[in-house]
Amino acid sequence: MKISACTEKVCVSFARECDLLAAIQVAKQEGLPLLDALTPYPVHGVETAFGWKSSRLTWVCFICGMIGAVGMLWFQHWSAAVSWPLDVGGKPWNSLPSDIPVAFEAAVLLAAFGSVAALFVACRLRPGKDPGDLPSRVTNDRFVLIFSGDSPGGGQANIEVAMQSFHPVEVQTLP
Amino acid sequence: MAEMNDTPLVSRRTQRVLWMGLSLGVIMLVIGFLTEPTRAWSSLFVNAYFFMTAGLAGAAFLALAAVSGARWHLPFRRIAELLIATVPLAACVMLGVIAWRFAQLIGDHTETAHPLSFWFKEAWLEPKFWLIRTSVCLAIWTLLSIVMLRQGRRSQPHTITGSETAFAAMALIVFAITLTVASVDWTMALEPEWFSTMWGVYQFSGMFQAGLAVMILLAISSAERNAQFRSAFQVDHLHDLGKLLIGFSCFWMYIWFCQYMLIWYSNIPEETSYFMVRTRGDWGPIVIASIIMNWVIPFFILLPRTAKRSVTVMKRVAAVVLIGRWLDIYVMVYPSTQGATPNFAWMEIAGMLCLIGGTPLAINAGYSRLAVRQHEASGSQVQLHLNV
Repeated sequence: MKISACTEKVCVSFARECDLLAAIQVAKQEGLPLLDALTPYPVHGVETAFGWKSSRLTWVCFICGMIGAVGMLWFQHWSAAVSWPLDVGGKPWNSLPSDIPVAFEAAVLLAAFGSVAALFVACRLRPGKDPGDLPSRVTNDRFVLIFSGDSPGGGQANIEVAMQSFHPVEVQTLP
Repeated sequence: MAEMNDTPLVSRRTQRVLWMGLSLGVIMLVIGFLTEPTRAWSSLFVNAYFFMTAGLAGAAFLALAAVSGARWHLPFRRIAELLIATVPLAACVMLGVIAWRFAQLIGDHTETAHPLSFWFKEAWLEPKFWLIRTSVCLAIWTLLSIVMLRQGRRSQPHTITGSETAFAAMALIVFAITLTVASVDWTMALEPEWFSTMWGVYQFSGMFQAGLAVMILLAISSAERNAQFRSAFQVDHLHDLGKLLIGFSCFWMYIWFCQYMLIWYSNIPEETSYFMVRTRGDWGPIVIASIIMNWVIPFFILLPRTAKRSVTVMKRVAAVVLIGRWLDIYVMVYPSTQGATPNFAWMEIAGMLCLIGGTPLAINAGYSRLAVRQHEASGSQVQLHLNV
């Protein structure tokens, strides 16, 4: 189920990442309608606990980097040797060594911008987007699990009982 | 715990083969010494330098990890210590190699005309002073490695003490200075009129990359042979070592290219002489091969996460990196001592036999001592560590 299609979300906050990881495993075993986890920093093992496939963002990064490197090499060759041949210190027009640093920088720049742009597109993010209702302290220091409140077995009472042994700090239902 | 000793790192049969290879290599080198001394020396030097720097890389790895407050390497720190344990032997070999060169230099009375600006180098490279510096560097490395091994033996499984960190910080400073001095003295001085201010860091980059490759191979083969170590050395450790290997491959390439480009750009005859020989003619393809093996292959193959987590892929890439490292040293030394055409014949094979035979034997000596020590301690506590 997509998180955007869900009208009622049950958010369980934890104070420690080990509680979050254990809670994900139990929720998976019991078939609770898990949607997502929000953490203040990348937590090792969350994706495997969820059973998510690895992200394709790395491919976007690699391809953008390659486009940057090859494109910049071509552009420098075209501008310094084809379109307007330039004599720099008596070097040949098509001097590959002098093109490498710029091609390297362009590769890094495009790889970085490309992956950030891809992330924004994939998450439908944009500057000024309304974040909606958020669980408290989620952007601060809380580890939050989100369950679908609409699905069977997804009521707040049910989830609260299931999560009790993992020291939840707070359980909220948000639209 | 009793099965600790069952599978040695190198089986007795392989040990016999390795001893045979090593002895054959030594005999061939002795014959080479009688027929063509400088070439035999070059061959021995390339391989001794490989051996020496691989051991030092283990020390640099542990010191860097201690200084940066890392804990992830602790389950396999003994693997790095196996490398460090070869440093005293490597230092003895290296001292012999340098003393041999010293004898050659002392016997050589041909006067060569040097430019006037050369007076400092003439004083610096005065053979006796040169030999003393080498001995001091080797003595310092031996001392540091012995202290590091002692500390490791006393250490508790999952901690690094403050005194270890302090010692590591001091050792890194001393190591940076001595490695620069030694690499300038040993390899750069082969072409006394040539110079590069990036030489020290260039040597470090290649050394550290090869050291990581050796550690990956050692960790994989120890895990294959030892159930206890297998349970401690997780696939995440292999993954992290893979990340370091790809990172230091890039670092090596970066430094290699920086040195090349600065010299290419300024185009001053006294600087370009080094690359003139190496990028033109028959040395060119060998330089390109070393770049492919040290950077292109590790970079593109190890990029995906699955590759870094695969034992087979990591083993092969590490082996390729080690061949690349050998070629890198070969290209560094041979054009200076043997001239503009690459030569590879029985004398070079002799040196390689010494390296390929001697390194596993030297590491295995430490490994079997480690197994015995584990036996003595057995029963007292379950330790997910190899004890050196």
